[in-house]
Amino acid sequence: MEDKLIRLTVNGRDEAVIIQPLATLQDVLRDTLELTAVKSGCGQGGCGSCSVLVDGELRLSCLTLAERAEGAEVTTLEGLNATNAIVPLQQAFVENYAAQCGYCTAGMVMAAKALLDRNPAPSRDEIVEGLSGNLCRCTGFAPIVRAVQQAAQALSDTGEEAS
Amino acid sequence: MPELLRPGSIDEAADLIARHGAAAAVLAGGTSLMRETYPSDGGYLIGVDRLGLDKVVSRDDGWSIGAAVPLSVLREAVPIPALQAATREIGGPAVQNMATVGGNLFARAPFGDLAPALLALGARLVFATADGETTQSIEDFYAGWTDGAPPRTGLLTRIELDALAGAAAYMKCARRRYSTPSVVTVAACVQKDGGTVSDARIALSGAHAHPLRCPAAEQAVIGSSLDDAAITAAAQAAEAAVAPQTDAVATDWYRRRMTGVFVGRVLAVLA
Ligand code: FES
Ligand code: FES
Repeated sequence: MEDKLIRLTVNGRDEAVIIQPLATLQDVLRDTLELTAVKSGCGQGGCGSCSVLVDGELRLSCLTLAERAEGAEVTTLEGLNATNAIVPLQQAFVENYAAQCGYCTAGMVMAAKALLDRNPAPSRDEIVEGLSGNLCRCTGFAPIVRAVQQAAQALSDTGEEAS
Repeated sequence: MPELLRPGSIDEAADLIARHGAAAAVLAGGTSLMRETYPSDGGYLIGVDRLGLDKVVSRDDGWSIGAAVPLSVLREAVPIPALQAATREIGGPAVQNMATVGGNLFARAPFGDLAPALLALGARLVFATADGETTQSIEDFYAGWTDGAPPRTGLLTRIELDALAGAAAYMKCARRRYSTPSVVTVAACVQKDGGTVSDARIALSGAHAHPLRCPAAEQAVIGSSLDDAAITAAAQAAEAAVAPQTDAVATDWYRRRMTGVFVGRVLAVLA
C-alpha cells in the first residue's frame, strides 16, 4: 500500500496533500493542514468534536477516509470567516457562555451552522436534535441551545446568513 | 492494516467479495466499520462509494433504495413516518449523513435500529453475487445469521420496499434521547379489515442476537380488534419469545421486560 496524492478544497483553498493508506480527513485537516479547530475527542464517531462540512453537509472527519474526500469542498471552523472575524453564530456562543473548556465548541458551532443553513428558524426541539451528535462535558448543553436560539433570532432579524 | 479497494462496478465488487471471502469487509458509510474496528489481520475493505448505489428510485407502488443511500437521504425520499422515525434514532445528524441503509442492516446488536422498521414494512433485499442477482425477504436474511453475525450472500445492492399497506409505528427504548444504542427497538405494521386486524408484522431489535419478526406477538393480535386484551397478550407473547443479550447497555432481564412494554406501546399507537 502506497501513499497517495489527493486534491480537495479546504476553506476555499485548493490543497494537494499526500496521505497514508486509510488516513482520515481528520488526520489531513489537523496534522497536515494544521486546522486544529478540528478536535479529536474519540476518533470513533461518538463525540462530534471533529465535525466539519463536506460539500455543505455535516460530517465526522474522524470517520471520513481522506481518499473518499477527494475533490470535496471542506469547511472547518477556521473557514467560517476569511479574516478570522467572529461570525454572529460564534458571538452568540460567547454571549451565552456556551463554552467552558471549549473542546466541544468548534464541533458544536459546525453542527449549529449545518442546522441553520438547512433550517434558519428551528424550534428548541429541532436545535436539540441538530446538536444530538455532539457531546459537551462542561456546559450542561442549555447555554449552547440558548446560543443557537439567539443566533437563529439574529438571523431572522437581520436576514443574514448564520456565518 | 487492511487495504482499501474501491471497485467501479457492481460486478467487480461482487467478484472481489467472492474472491476474498472472509478476508473482505464491505465498507459503506464507515460509521461502524472504522479505524478502531478494522480487521487487524490485514485483508481488504471493499468500498461501495463508486457503485452508483446512492439513489432512491420511486416506483408506482413503492421504492427501490440503493444500499449506499445515507439515512438522511432515505428520510427525505421515503415519506413513511415509521421509517423516518427509525432514521432519526441512529447517531446524530452527521452520522445520518454518512451511515447507509445497507450498512445499518449489517450492524451487530445492540446497534441496527433500521432493521425493525424494514422488517415491519416487509422489505426485500437484493444481492449481487458472482453468479448473478438474488432476492431475499428481509426476515429470511436475518434467519441466516449465526452467532449475531450475517451470512456472506454477496453484495447488498438495493432494498425493495412496497408502499405502506395499513398503519405502521416505531419506538426505541434507550438510555438517552438521541445518538445511543438501543435497549430494545420495536416496529409494527398492522392491516385492518373493518375493525379486525387481518395482518400484522411486529419486529424487534435488541431482543435477540439479531433483528427478527415476532410471530407469537403477531398471532396474538391477528383476528382481534387490537383491544387492550389483545395488546397485553401480544406483549406477553413477545416477552416469552425473545432471547436478549446482556451488555453494557442493559441486562437480558431488562431487555425482556422492555420488549413487552414497548410492544404494548407501539400497538397502542395503532389501536
Ligand atoms: S473525534 Fe470524531 S466523533 Fe469524536
Ligand atoms: S465546553 Fe467543555 S466539553 Fe463543551
